[in-house]
Amino acid sequence: MTFLNSRMTRIATALSALLLATPSMAQEKPALTVYTYSSFTGKYGPGAKVKAAFEAQCSCTLNWVASDDAGSLVARLKLEGETTKADAVLGLDMNLAAEAKATGLFQPHGQDTTALTLPIAWTDDTFLPFDWGHLAFVYDSTKLAAPPTSLKQLVDDPNGPKLVLQDPRTSAPGLGFLLWMRAVYGDGADTAWTRLKPRIVTFTKGWSEAYGLFLKGEADMVLSYATSPAYHIGVEKKTQYKAAPFSEGHYLHIELAGMTRTTRQPELAKRFLAFTLSDAFQLLIPEGNWMMPAKQAAGGLPASFADVIKPERTLLFTPDEVRTQRRSFIDAWLAAASR
Amino acid sequence: MFRPATLTALAILALAGASLAGLAGAGGNVAALSSLGPYLARLVAGATVQAGLSMLLSILLGTALALALLRRRFPGRNLLLAVLTAAAVAPTIVIVFGVIAIYGRSGLLGDLARAVGAEPPAIYGLQGILIAHVLMNMPLVTRTLLQAFGREPGERRRLASALGFSAADCFRHLDWPVIRREAPALATFVFLLCFTSFAVVLSLGGGPANATLEVAIYEAVRFEADFARAAALAGLQLVLCLGLATALATLAPAVHDEASAERHAARPDILAPCLLRLDCLVLILATAWIAPPLLSIASGVAAVPTLATAEFAWAAATSAAIALGAGLLACLFAVLLASAARGRRLRPRLPDLAAFTMLGLPPFAFVAGLYVLTRNLADPAALGLMLVPLVNALMALPYAYRLLAPPLATNAERHGRLAESLGIAGWTRLRLVEWPALRAPLAAAFAFATALSLGDFGVIALFGGGELTTLPYLLANRLGAYRMDEAGALALVLVLSAGGLAYLTERWSARHA
Repeated sequence: MTFLNSRMTRIATALSALLLATPSMAQEKPALTVYTYSSFTGKYGPGAKVKAAFEAQCSCTLNWVASDDAGSLVARLKLEGETTKADAVLGLDMNLAAEAKATGLFQPHGQDTTALTLPIAWTDDTFLPFDWGHLAFVYDSTKLAAPPTSLKQLVDDPNGPKLVLQDPRTSAPGLGFLLWMRAVYGDGADTAWTRLKPRIVTFTKGWSEAYGLFLKGEADMVLSYATSPAYHIGVEKKTQYKAAPFSEGHYLHIELAGMTRTTRQPELAKRFLAFTLSDAFQLLIPEGNWMMPAKQAAGGLPASFADVIKPERTLLFTPDEVRTQRRSFIDAWLAAASR
Repeated sequence: MFRPATLTALAILALAGASLAGLAGAGGNVAALSSLGPYLARLVAGATVQAGLSMLLSILLGTALALALLRRRFPGRNLLLAVLTAAAVAPTIVIVFGVIAIYGRSGLLGDLARAVGAEPPAIYGLQGILIAHVLMNMPLVTRTLLQAFGREPGERRRLASALGFSAADCFRHLDWPVIRREAPALATFVFLLCFTSFAVVLSLGGGPANATLEVAIYEAVRFEADFARAAALAGLQLVLCLGLATALATLAPAVHDEASAERHAARPDILAPCLLRLDCLVLILATAWIAPPLLSIASGVAAVPTLATAEFAWAAATSAAIALGAGLLACLFAVLLASAARGRRLRPRLPDLAAFTMLGLPPFAFVAGLYVLTRNLADPAALGLMLVPLVNALMALPYAYRLLAPPLATNAERHGRLAESLGIAGWTRLRLVEWPALRAPLAAAFAFATALSLGDFGVIALFGGGELTTLPYLLANRLGAYRMDEAGALALVLVLSAGGLAYLTERWSARHA
């Protein structure tokens, strides 16, 4: 065992020396470590372009450290506590914001948020939104001619479309829909779930499985984002996928950035937060992250976003409400949807 | 006093315990656990029924398939064995999409049903979970039993022929003792895998009535960052799993065996016409069950050209390095654990429990716990390089152990006394006594463990990112970025690699048999 371990340590040290060779040669530049989720830095995410654009103006090195998803970002921060190497974090969401704030690891962002193009007024001084999207049911208009026009119609029509949803215990959009139902139905949400249940094909672990099942034809509609059709238009040149506007309004998903209290690069971290609201960053969001920019750049939105639905009402629980009531909402859902 | 097996088992148990303790110390609110009581009880009850049914079906069908494969030689037999391995180790999301492609509302069967005017099959629910779980677990049952049947002394078959055994006699006197010996551990193995299954259960379960404790543990880590609760739930799951393992172990009879000089004697029942029909039926049914979902992955071939990138090459190389390392390490650990059988003591309980521990331990709780324990020791990038193969090896260990422990036990029973009386021990004994009997199982174990690590995503999730990208990591990344076609191509590469590896090791062991 000892032999093996010392052997592996040597190999690991050699390998990591090799991997880290480039940054250490550029040691004179300060480095900024930003935690984010992996689809932001993946091949199709905006991560690489964001890094290049920021480095071009900061004379620093931006290092992404990617976690699985927003949930594992918070878990990782909490595990690391004061010793975290993160200077900034990009990719939390409203449902985790209270949990993240409770770690005590964040400090005020210090940015002017008056010119944001969010559907709601922004007042939080710890987290800064960098993009957003309304939750929406996406369908294939060649297969579903008359989609429901309201959540109530979706819930009440016994011959309505079959749905694939995400489990609110394991998925951010899944939790979003649970809150959407609460926002519309209040305490009547449980009976609404019971009425909707027969048309729910399944609740998947995450967004990917649900969207995959939908594309394979397992359901007529999938819970996703209002911006999803823009992807099919922009990349696949397919126009048949549409998001159904609901008259009660749509639940809002907001993605957040913040800087840590423990950072050794406070100036640089603050500069990065300011950068996330600059045109250079915001222009990369629509067709990089397939979300709406939090501060729309002067040039407007790309053509693929022209038909993204614009709900008249936006539904949202505060992070503290989510934190205190999530458990009871989930218990009620379990009881209603298990029947 | 401390044998290598005991030391290895204690080290594994200590690591598992330390990781949970580390996680528990990372903060959280265990007191809130009591309010979850009824919910957890429902989760455990539902998961027990599901895992019990999955286990029964996997054991029954896996045994029938093993007997059919034992009695029949046909072209494509090695290929079928390779497909079996691929089904057992494919990433769960690949299995889910494969099952959907055949049994889903818009799958092959659904289309066929609509073409003849019938209702498409309803897959979402317990039936969907069972289809996927049997697909994933029957293969190991079949492989282990096939090996076990193959190890039986040829003298028994010769005697059976001389006594004019009927097919029923053959089953009663030749096969049943083997099944009875191997089944308890296999049943535990399959039960634990299904009891802790997660993505398959949610995706195909059709509603929250179908879930496992693992869902609650994931929720505690990812949504509540409540590590103490996660550790407590993981501990609960572990206790339930090990309790079951201990209970089922008492059902296994002690191994009694004698040396054998003859290996190739034919069975008297292969000519029985009723058995021939039964075996054909079993082989056709098993192939029809396992092959289509895996073949459906071939649709990813269209997008394979999109994989020609430096990122893919790097991820493939990283995956190969991690998987090969993990495969070797898993076999090493498994041989160390299984060496308990050499001492011919009553029953190697502790090593069994150590192997089952790695099945009952939720990977993300284990990895998060390890992260707490090690993050102050070194740079996370260097740690990742070290820990990912180690953790993958430990996760694959139960598979390798299941394939390696029985042949080592048989061998100890057959040749142990002779070796001891001749004073053959240590390395010499390993080379002269164990290696010839261990070669084929070791190859199968290596293929299983390596292929399993190749498809593993759980471990990389916390340490991954940056340079440490693997093929399953890319697969998840592409799925999350709407790129289903590219994800399909990656799934194809993963399944082909796993199947190819299994096929090559199969041929290798056949040549050295």
